[in-house]
Amino acid sequence: MKTFLNAVLICLIMIPAAMFAQTQVSGTVTDQADAMPLPGVNILIKGTSRGASTDFDGKFTIEVSQGETIVVSYVGYRTQEIIYAGQATIDVALVEDAAQLDEVVLIGYGSTTKQDATGVVEQVSAEEFNKGAIVAPQQLIAGKAAGVRVTPGGGAAGEGGEIRIRGGASLSASNAPLIVIDGLPIDQRGGAQGSRNALNAINPEDIKDFVVLKDASATAIYGSRASNGVILITTKKGRANQPLKLEYGLQVSTRRVANTVDVLNADQYRTIALANGVDPSELGDANTDWQDELFTTGVGAIHNITATKGYENFNFRINFNHASQEGPLQDLYERNGLNTSFEHRFLDNDLKLTLIAKVVRDEFDYENGRALGEAVRFNPTLPIRDENGAFTQYGPGAPLAPSNPLWSIANENFTSRQTIDRVISNFNIDYRFWFLPELKFNLNAGIDYAENEGFRFDRANPNNPDAFDTNEISSGLNRNTNLDFTFNYKKDIESINTKVDLMVGHAFQEFYIQSFVDRQSNITLVDTDINRNALESYFARASFDIADKYLVSAIIRTDGSSRFSEDNRWGTFPGLSVGWKIMNESWMEDSFFSNLKIRGGWGVTGQQEIGENYGFLGVYTPSRNDAANIQFGFVPGTEDPRFIQTIRPQGFDSNIKWEETTQYNAGIDFGFFNNRLTGTIDGYYRETDDLLSFVPVPAGANLTDLLLTNIGSVTSRGLEIALNGVIVQNDNFNWDSNFNITFQEQEITRLSLNDAAGFQQQVGGISGGVGNNIQLFKPGFDPTTFFVFRQVYDDQGNPIQGAYVDVNGDNQITEADRQPYKKATPDAFFGFTNSFSYKNLDLNFTFRGSVGNHVYNNNASDTGNLNSITNQPGYIANAHASFLDTNFSSQELFSDYYIERADFVRLDNISLGYTIPFDKITLRTSLTATNVFVITDYSGLDPEISNGIENSPYPRTRDIVLGLNLTF
Amino acid sequence: MKTKYLNFKAMMKRTTVFLCVAFLSLVVVQSCADRLELQPEDERLVGDAAFEDPAAYEEFLGKLYAGISLSGQEGPAGSPDLAGLDEGFSNYLRLYWKMQELTTDEAIIGWNDGTIQDLHNQVWTSGNEFIRTMYSRIMYQVALCNEYLRQTTDGKLDSRGVGADLRAEIQIYRAEARFLRALSYWHAMDLFANPPFVTEQDPIGAFLPPQIQRADLFAYIEAELLDIIDDMAQANADPVVYYGRADRAAAWMLLAKLYLNAEVYTGTARYADALTYVNNVIGAGYSIDTSIPYFHSFLADNSTNGAQSEVIFTIPFDGLRTQAFGGMTFMTHAPVGGTMNDVATSFFGINGGWFGIRTTPTFVELFPGEENSDDGRALIWTDGQNKDINTVSMFTDGYGLFKYRNVDVDGNQGSDTSGDHTDIDFPMFRLADAYLMYAEIVARGAGGDANTAATYVNMLRERAYGNTSGNISAGDITLDFVLDERGRELYWEAHRRTDLIRFNRFSDNGIWQWKGGVQPGTTTESFRDIMPIPETDLGLNTNLEQNPGY
Repeated sequence: MKTFLNAVLICLIMIPAAMFAQTQVSGTVTDQADAMPLPGVNILIKGTSRGASTDFDGKFTIEVSQGETIVVSYVGYRTQEIIYAGQATIDVALVEDAAQLDEVVLIGYGSTTKQDATGVVEQVSAEEFNKGAIVAPQQLIAGKAAGVRVTPGGGAAGEGGEIRIRGGASLSASNAPLIVIDGLPIDQRGGAQGSRNALNAINPEDIKDFVVLKDASATAIYGSRASNGVILITTKKGRANQPLKLEYGLQVSTRRVANTVDVLNADQYRTIALANGVDPSELGDANTDWQDELFTTGVGAIHNITATKGYENFNFRINFNHASQEGPLQDLYERNGLNTSFEHRFLDNDLKLTLIAKVVRDEFDYENGRALGEAVRFNPTLPIRDENGAFTQYGPGAPLAPSNPLWSIANENFTSRQTIDRVISNFNIDYRFWFLPELKFNLNAGIDYAENEGFRFDRANPNNPDAFDTNEISSGLNRNTNLDFTFNYKKDIESINTKVDLMVGHAFQEFYIQSFVDRQSNITLVDTDINRNALESYFARASFDIADKYLVSAIIRTDGSSRFSEDNRWGTFPGLSVGWKIMNESWMEDSFFSNLKIRGGWGVTGQQEIGENYGFLGVYTPSRNDAANIQFGFVPGTEDPRFIQTIRPQGFDSNIKWEETTQYNAGIDFGFFNNRLTGTIDGYYRETDDLLSFVPVPAGANLTDLLLTNIGSVTSRGLEIALNGVIVQNDNFNWDSNFNITFQEQEITRLSLNDAAGFQQQVGGISGGVGNNIQLFKPGFDPTTFFVFRQVYDDQGNPIQGAYVDVNGDNQITEADRQPYKKATPDAFFGFTNSFSYKNLDLNFTFRGSVGNHVYNNNASDTGNLNSITNQPGYIANAHASFLDTNFSSQELFSDYYIERADFVRLDNISLGYTIPFDKITLRTSLTATNVFVITDYSGLDPEISNGIENSPYPRTRDIVLGLNLTF
Repeated sequence: MKTKYLNFKAMMKRTTVFLCVAFLSLVVVQSCADRLELQPEDERLVGDAAFEDPAAYEEFLGKLYAGISLSGQEGPAGSPDLAGLDEGFSNYLRLYWKMQELTTDEAIIGWNDGTIQDLHNQVWTSGNEFIRTMYSRIMYQVALCNEYLRQTTDGKLDSRGVGADLRAEIQIYRAEARFLRALSYWHAMDLFANPPFVTEQDPIGAFLPPQIQRADLFAYIEAELLDIIDDMAQANADPVVYYGRADRAAAWMLLAKLYLNAEVYTGTARYADALTYVNNVIGAGYSIDTSIPYFHSFLADNSTNGAQSEVIFTIPFDGLRTQAFGGMTFMTHAPVGGTMNDVATSFFGINGGWFGIRTTPTFVELFPGEENSDDGRALIWTDGQNKDINTVSMFTDGYGLFKYRNVDVDGNQGSDTSGDHTDIDFPMFRLADAYLMYAEIVARGAGGDANTAATYVNMLRERAYGNTSGNISAGDITLDFVLDERGRELYWEAHRRTDLIRFNRFSDNGIWQWKGGVQPGTTTESFRDIMPIPETDLGLNTNLEQNPGY
């Protein structure tokens, strides 16, 4: 009976349905760019609740009636609408949305869409990354984002780069931004010891995008660590409903040094030495270019194997990578890493669990850094090896002389190895409450654990027969544990036409660093250092989107740090930003703009990365080794001295507290030609107070001469402009272009306890003599300002040695005549990227450059004089080639002759690729060259030096990379 | 289509999850708050915990002494006390020696480190980093001594429950700490005249100390020394316990020096008072064995080879256990260069010279017969060296002096076989100095007996000449003679500048090569008898006023 009634009901229901004469239609959705099917695309019949989604092969089936509109939409692509008029099949090719305004972008403990972001949030995705055999993630984004200046390190294997967002906000505290990997904030000190670049633990191939939070209204959600900006790194994960995809990537590279220091060659050297009284027996017959002999060609290979698959409720991605890179000084870097990510959805998508685990082993074989300076100094008339086949040395009697650089880097004379094992893992729970679907709970439990172990063998100075070898074992442990949870409530309140997004949360993070060293030489040092610090925070955010036009977002965070005493422990960091989506206004309907939005923000962030964990406590340090003992009397009955160790009270400031940075930002996002051309302009003003700096304290007042204390103020302002253009877009040929430029200015406004005018502090150590500084902290000037004498030149434009401008007119040249002059920070820096694709061919190149920066050529100032050759203790050495121009007899370290303009434009990378789509496999080959050329006036090694002082750095290299990528 | 509500099992699952979430949130928030109170977990100690070990009192006192010889907590370098200058350069003894010797006729240096040349040229300004670091070092030493006194008050010792025996020991330690503070304040008064003034009554922090005038500082040091004399160990105390430490005789000696220079410091001469304390020192039992050659006092084993019997207060070094790039390592390596370098190991006991320091012809001419003098104190090296200094940076211009050698009396190298660091102990106060002070007081007509003075001087001369051929008579003791004899006996022991100023020969009188920045030498402004207050401290501390002339 029941069944019969059911049957009748069904028939009754079916009748009206039949009257609508719905048909079942099927079709395929593909990506217009590569004709690959797109799974998971949403198909919706407009005005109804009928929907479907495409399967693995991009196919869908849906019920539709005549005249209804089928809406096909997918994140990252332009939505298409098709009116059903009886087509047999509906095949849709979706086009990528150039501006990707709907793309979800992370903003720290949450996400929003690009068009709704009110803080300054910039995303750099994998397609935009720099090409090359890159092992260090920092180098992926050099030149890609306005306001973000990445200065790559030298050409050493595994070298990273320095990131500065809007110039960094501090003087003595760290200027590094906070890096968050998949929700886990990484220790700003790096997270691992013994590594040349701790961030190498992240495989660049694994990174989906970088999101840079630049202004305080966006970064304040990270409170006390946010003053220098925040970079959110998201690694690739799988997607639901995806077929098994296997990918193998190979990059083979060679690298050679791009430039060497200009020193005298053997003939020039011989002439000058003999003319100046050098004993001819000290000159040899050879013509050795030591730098040339020192540098070799390094070879590298990077392998990546990735597997991804997505089921209905579960998807995973596993990547294994092996990278090995040789540097030109025979240093070596090797990485073996396993990166996994798993996502599981339960309870009808109410509960999502994500586990990300990365396990990496980094191995470094370091070079003997002394070899660089030795190659510049070593006598070029000496042969590499003497008549006995041993490396030529200056010999006993010249213990201060340099060693033979080839001897120095030989493995049997110097070995330094470090192995770093690191695990970065984050477990995330995302739960949507069944009784209130708008409320979500999110929990992150993460751990970043690294252990390193290494040893170093350094053979005794060959010029001192009594010297000792050094053997050193070192090991360390870093542990960063993070636990945070948030409650997030998102609702579209139609009655007031507002979308509301509220979030509250709590986070606790603890850092533990332990290091151990055992150094044996003629003295011994065995020491263990332990440092622990912790951070606790409460935070909240409220965002409102009114009528899809007006955006308001407010955040607040309060942080407590163990680094400060209880009185100063907690700081509160608010942020507020507003935005107006002008293009959604009705009167903008037919305007010239396809996108227009203006934003403004304000926020306060903190800095607690002060380098000392217990700086506010009075700490006593005992003697670290036996060589720091003192004699008190004799051992009774003997003539042996009695030694005791000493304990020293450290200087401290019990009132040390946060630095606070206040930032204002205003910006405009715009788009033309249907978002074919888009851009952003942002202007900011930032002030840091209670600046932490190592400043001299009044003598006698404390147990130190320089104390880390809150002492000053720095302001900075800047303008960032970014333009993106899809210049050509058609079936065969595409051309994308991106240009970004940043103008910036920084000034110290206050630097001492008592505002004394004219107070200044010398910084920027250089080599040449001991304890000499070339830069200056002075109120009213950029923190990287140089402090030099103004050189006087003769009629031919040659410098007159020792003749400087007598600024104070006292007829004496003293320190009072040194002047602040030029700076190392650029006035503007820019990046320019172009990507072309023609059928299966693609070409990509990036330029990078800066204007207004200067560099002090310390190599030239230290050794570009006659004393460098003739007046060394017990030996003769080479001189910098600038001597031929200056004819200086002795060092003139503080002459502004050595401050050179270092404006430059560099072709950072150029890459040509060819894709061959077979039936089941896609093959892409590519050829890339990095650091192709630099256009600059600077005469030294490389104009791109972040601190502005060139002092025998590891030269940058030019790499050629051959790449192969197979996708199954 | 939500039919979940009909599924009981699913609802249970959800409730459990919800409860877990709520519980977790509360637990997490609760357990975090107290984990922000952290303390060091390695060998560093905080506050009172540092003094739980009774040896800490002696070790902290050791740091006060080490403040002169070492530069930090790791030998030879690595954990510096001062961060504002290279660690080797910031060593107390090295800086004090440079202040007292490079500015005079006794030494000239050929290096190009910063403004070091300004010292011998007597053209320094308030920005000179060597003067600045000496100033920082002296005030740092004072601050350390103050902290020691704060940590050893009766109240503190009571609260830590220190027993009676240790307390008695600590009273002697406190007297030594006050002596070391008086010593550093004496250096400050001698060099800077009007330094900042802090005592253990002042706090530690970033406050502005007041400035003290020279005469007031004189009174303070005098009062301190007179107060501690009875608490210090007896004069010429047993070296088994007190070698390397200061005893009553060191305090007497410092008082004597204070009074001897009182006219310079306060305008009022106090030579009679100086005589009292010089006599105390001379009567304390120190002795000079005239059969032991002069140069034995400056060898690696000068703590045990017999020469130590005349030493009142020494700064000990050890090639393996007390290592620093300043101190005696500097004084042994820096003057070796040229042909001296060829015998660096065999003769000097080091791995090589630093080609830095030589002496001026004016000093050489103090010895009759110059380098060929029979006076055994004329340790002058002429091989490959020119007497006149035409080029300062050329090591071969200017005769060398081979006073400090890291070998023992048999010629064996010191304990550091790598040849870097030396075992030579630096004699800060010795009996010869007291003898010459006695002679000076006689020459000034302020007391004492001329014949006794001659006897004293002749002991030095017999040691120097090896026989009586260099002896003098009472009538030879004039002021000029005393100054010259102090040069011959005490050269390179960090006395010269103070002596020249007392005899008014430092700035606007007295000529030696390169004084004033010109090769033949010229007189300089009289305000240079006092060093400038460093401009960085003037900028920081508005209580300070610069010394005249700068």
